Amino acid sequence: MTPAQPVILGEMPSLSKLYVNAAATAARRRVLGTHAGNGLPATRHEVRGVKAAVENLTAYQHLIGESASDVLPAGFVHALAFPLAMSVMNRDDFPLPLLGMIHLQNRVVQSEPLRFTDALDIRSWSEDLRGHRAGTQLDVVTEVRRTGEDAVSWRGVSTYLAKGVYLPGIDKPSAAPAPAAFSAPDPTALWQLGVDTGRAYAAVSGDFNPIHLSVLSAKALGMRRSIAHGMYLASRALADVGAAKGDAFSWDVSFEAPVFLPARVALDINTTQGDDGAWQRSDYVAWNARSGRKHFSGSVAAL
Amino acid sequence: MSVNGQSAPGPQDPARAATTPAAGPVPDRAATPQLRKAVIVGGNRIPFARTGGAYTKSSNQDMLTAALDGLIARYGLQDERIGEVAAGAVLKHSRDFNLTREAVLGSALSAETPAYDLQQACATGLETVLGLANKIKLGQIDSAIAGGVDSASDAPIAVSEGLREVLLDLNRAKTLPQRLQVLSRLRPKDLAPDAPSTGEPRTGLSMGEHQALTTAQWKITREAQDELAFNSHRNLAAAYDAGFFDDLLTPYRGLARDSNLRADTSLEKLAALKPVFGKSLGSAATMTAGNSTPLTDGASTVLLGSEEWADAHDLPKLATVVDGEAAAVDFVHGKDGLLMAPAFAVPRLLARNGLTLSDFDFFEIHEAFAGTVLSTLAAWEDEEFGRTRLGLDGAFGSIDRSKLNVNGSSLAAGHPFAATGGRIVASLAKMLHAKGNVDGRPARGLISICAAGGQGVVAILEAH
Repeated sequence: MTPAQPVILGEMPSLSKLYVNAAATAARRRVLGTHAGNGLPATRHEVRGVKAAVENLTAYQHLIGESASDVLPAGFVHALAFPLAMSVMNRDDFPLPLLGMIHLQNRVVQSEPLRFTDALDIRSWSEDLRGHRAGTQLDVVTEVRRTGEDAVSWRGVSTYLAKGVYLPGIDKPSAAPAPAAFSAPDPTALWQLGVDTGRAYAAVSGDFNPIHLSVLSAKALGMRRSIAHGMYLASRALADVGAAKGDAFSWDVSFEAPVFLPARVALDINTTQGDDGAWQRSDYVAWNARSGRKHFSGSVAAL
Repeated sequence: MSVNGQSAPGPQDPARAATTPAAGPVPDRAATPQLRKAVIVGGNRIPFARTGGAYTKSSNQDMLTAALDGLIARYGLQDERIGEVAAGAVLKHSRDFNLTREAVLGSALSAETPAYDLQQACATGLETVLGLANKIKLGQIDSAIAGGVDSASDAPIAVSEGLREVLLDLNRAKTLPQRLQVLSRLRPKDLAPDAPSTGEPRTGLSMGEHQALTTAQWKITREAQDELAFNSHRNLAAAYDAGFFDDLLTPYRGLARDSNLRADTSLEKLAALKPVFGKSLGSAATMTAGNSTPLTDGASTVLLGSEEWADAHDLPKLATVVDGEAAAVDFVHGKDGLLMAPAFAVPRLLARNGLTLSDFDFFEIHEAFAGTVLSTLAAWEDEEFGRTRLGLDGAFGSIDRSKLNVNGSSLAAGHPFAATGGRIVASLAKMLHAKGNVDGRPARGLISICAAGGQGVVAILEAH
């Protein structure tokens, strides 16, 4: 479902302005008690002719552990399109508060490689507003095409939760189900994440959300310490899967417990090969190396 | 200059030197088991970039992986377990101790492909080709990828010796007073970093200053050097225009051609440049930025295999690696010029193979400086050098200059030290294959690469 009404932006919106605007909107709604309604906007946002900055690409690749090739890593495309996706949730007629949204899941289908020399048309919209035991969730869909082409090269669906926000008629609070038992396997990798992990990813992704930057800025938003960006973690797992995944693949991640910084995160990657030895899929799961608590899990699979 | 012939087995054995010109021990071919051929399937490199240009932020591992991935894509080597991959870099970070293996792990090759690093200064790339070709000939491996990479932009910077010693001692200190005592040794000057240089450790002279001595010794003129540089740019530009590099190169970071290439340069422009090396010598300085190779970033790879392996994978067989030879000169006190080792290696290699310079259709003499190429050629044409240094009856010989670096060389393309060997081998293999047979024999090419430390590596390739 692609909303029919496009709003074509002249350039990629600025994330910092979006965050400031989101804070202002939140304050206004709190003071005035106004509400944007119960439905999602039937509008999609679009930016055309976007190009990645090569210095930024190289810095991203070095941070994440990708080979610095000319192909844009799937997580880099997410970061590139992220301001547009945020702008969709920052509209005045968007019914949920942008600040404090929790990233629950992310699903990407990379159908063909995109290079930094490609001009990209990016469109984004929100859909599927639905209930969640702890609030209200929705999907933000982003599609990336090479400029002038019909085929979607990259498609991402990010599921966000507005915790504690219950829109009338959609859902009511309910008790959390008992968490599925998780017993950590033997790790294939151990990540030492310093306190600067959030700032380092902010520098290459442009996502300067205060909850990732420092203890103080995170505390201002009610977190006890800063947390790692979910997409940073998922992108590192994707890089760890390596070149075997080829140019076309799907990449899913489900986030469970946030990674408070600094942290030692253990990771297990379990790869399945076909009878011919060709790579089919890699499933990954990451947990707190000390407590054994599961942080996130997902898979990368051949299309 | 000493008159001791390098070819002589003992230090004072002129008789032997005279009777076995330029030859080392000649193997008894009949007693040697028949070796199989090592063929060059093809190659791939990324365009070379002037330092501080398009690859400024790219590491050696990035560039080597990019060149490797282009090769893998061109020859369908995804998930292939290659017999062995060998590559290296001259300017290398200590963290890159397993540079080649890490590049393999980051590539689409099977993770079960072994790899090793090699370093022989500017001869690194050619030496990886020779070493791997030997393994193929011996039947130890069936396929191989040789390569090299260098970044002058992303060069390693080391801490000073003073700071390094303090840090190591600090690590060993057990108590707070001990630590403070160690720290008190630190001086402000210790905080200045050590950048790598192209200077020779034993002489303190840069490579350019060394070559300036040699250029003056062989009386190489400014005009001859500028002409060689001009030909290099003209030939490389023509090769690009003819599409010669279409299947030898993968664009990277927005570059599709070597960024040092000046297609529009002219002898007049080159003549207008001011000398940069040899300015303190008595004679007029002749070496400029135009007839010297600039610092460059880049990577190259070469795919090798046995004939059976190439056939089984339905891959081309462009050329065979016939033979190679390394040499070194005693340059430290000026007995020979720093970059003159190939002048000795080539006569030995040709004698071992029963060949003369007239038996070659292409000469690829690496242009570290125009003066290097011209000094080498001058030495070969010199009666005195031939008699006293090579142990020959007269001059070693001269080459047909129209066969020299016909698709350009390092003066135009640039010279990322360890990547130059792979560039030359892949290009020459393609040229030889296109030439096919000459007078009933396979077309033949000679490669000559000089290297820091007074070394040189040379090789013979033949069309398959």
